[in-house]
Amino acid sequence: MNIFSKGKSTDLSAVLLQREKRSHYQNQLEQRYPNKIVISFKLNIPGPIKNNDYLARIFQTGWRVLLSQLTGQVIEHSRMEANLNTGPEAFLVVTGNLSALKQLTIKFEDNFPLGRLFDVDLMAGQDEKYQLSRQDLGFAPRTCLICNQDAKSCIKIQRHSLMEAYQVINSLYANYYQENFYLFNWGEDTVINAALTALLDEVTVTPKPGLVDPASNGSHQDMTAFTFIESSLALRPYFVQAFELGHNFQGTDLTSLFEQVRQAGIQAEQAMYLATQGVNTHKGLIFSLGIMIAALAQITRTGPSHAGKLRQTIQAMTANLVATDLQQGLAEQKALTAGQQQYQRYQLTGIRGEAAQAFPMVFELALPFLGQATGADNQRYLDTLMLIAGQLADSTLIKRAGSPAILAEMRAWSAEYFALGGSQREAGRTFLANLDQDFIKRNLSLGGAADTLVLTIFLARLQGVV
Amino acid sequence: MEIKKTAMAGTLESSDIQIMLSQGSNGLEFDLVSDVAKQFGKAIQATITDVLNTYDIHDAKVKVVDKGALDMVVKARAITVVQRALDMADEPDWKVI
Repeated sequence: MNIFSKGKSTDLSAVLLQREKRSHYQNQLEQRYPNKIVISFKLNIPGPIKNNDYLARIFQTGWRVLLSQLTGQVIEHSRMEANLNTGPEAFLVVTGNLSALKQLTIKFEDNFPLGRLFDVDLMAGQDEKYQLSRQDLGFAPRTCLICNQDAKSCIKIQRHSLMEAYQVINSLYANYYQENFYLFNWGEDTVINAALTALLDEVTVTPKPGLVDPASNGSHQDMTAFTFIESSLALRPYFVQAFELGHNFQGTDLTSLFEQVRQAGIQAEQAMYLATQGVNTHKGLIFSLGIMIAALAQITRTGPSHAGKLRQTIQAMTANLVATDLQQGLAEQKALTAGQQQYQRYQLTGIRGEAAQAFPMVFELALPFLGQATGADNQRYLDTLMLIAGQLADSTLIKRAGSPAILAEMRAWSAEYFALGGSQREAGRTFLANLDQDFIKRNLSLGGAADTLVLTIFLARLQGVV
Repeated sequence: MEIKKTAMAGTLESSDIQIMLSQGSNGLEFDLVSDVAKQFGKAIQATITDVLNTYDIHDAKVKVVDKGALDMVVKARAITVVQRALDMADEPDWKVI
């Protein structure tokens, strides 16, 4: 993959002029905020292409990571220019200690996997030294992207070709965004916000076949988009609880972490029913998103981690799930859930099976797809939803149709949608609007696919791809 | 050519160079600070001197802070600072930003 295959070129004079503009703006900020610290945040990309979808994504990811590190600092002012041909850039004015902040930004540049692609400069108006250098704080000068020598001397003698630099940047990008992607040790607030945003994003995506969205209740007579807003906010304390359970769990048997989350989840169901006046809006997600949040908090409690580790942890947590819930559970329980009934009738393991395999639909299918999808957020999410719907054995869909034979139909609809160009084309959009009407007529819905989309958006936010 | 006013070009960002040019009467007096001065101080000075000579400037105070700029950047900044010092180029209207 070559992330430099598209994008508008810029030239030296534009880059030099933009630097002077930035410098001037920094001076203005220093005058306006004389006792504060001005942070200038930008990408440092060699060559003529300084901005495109991929570079913008790197920038947004870095920006989120930086902001997550500044929790507790008072942010007085911020400004972002994401669409400049000369590269995305942003400014922050914060209250704080200059050298402590400089150490934090040096760590960002050195330790965050994409940090080498950023320049973070700090200035304090009241400081004689104006700019504090890495050496002033006892850090080594920045090393070259390609070799490990002092970056400045490599740049100066142009030791490396642009192609060499592009190769390194392409591989940094691939390692960060592709399958075994990096998971930053985000704080609790960031993770909880990502979960709530994912829930609210999903209900906002329009038009979803048979599902509730702001334009239609789909095939659900008892709820509206407002019901989902109520329900989402009611789940906040549960997400906090799941995070803290994962963060504080010290044992080695992760199935007991799962049991703790499940107990919290049972209470959360009551909070949901209370908020929705008895309607099941998020039962599946209380289960799956709770597991994911707890697993994430567990693996990032001492530092950054990776998607592979997250999946291992989810698998370890849910190791006994299919056996206890579906196999034994059927023998004992009187009132079966939809998932249990389907296991009994069709041997479909549903959400429990997905969890026990650490959500292959999310990690292997939906998330890589969403990362590459283009267009507005609504388009990217619709296409991702239709991709999921074409592959998932959606227990809501089966329940509503009364037979798993519906899955073959769903596969065909998904294929047709993409053949017509998906959300990018009028024909695809028309097809989807008609499919929504057909779903409503037949009382079908894509509850399982919608839940998978929420999990995908949740991780995509933490990854920085949305 | 005589320098009409003190002018500045460039920034203190990495890979850039900031050059301040002001009136002088004693040849080209350089004051150069660079992280890589030991290796490249002379080359930077030579590039700027070439540009100044092209504009027929032989007396000036030249204050330089180099942050690891490429030669083409040094040259571009030197041309800009001369044009500003000679009133040949308008300062960009920063207020519009």
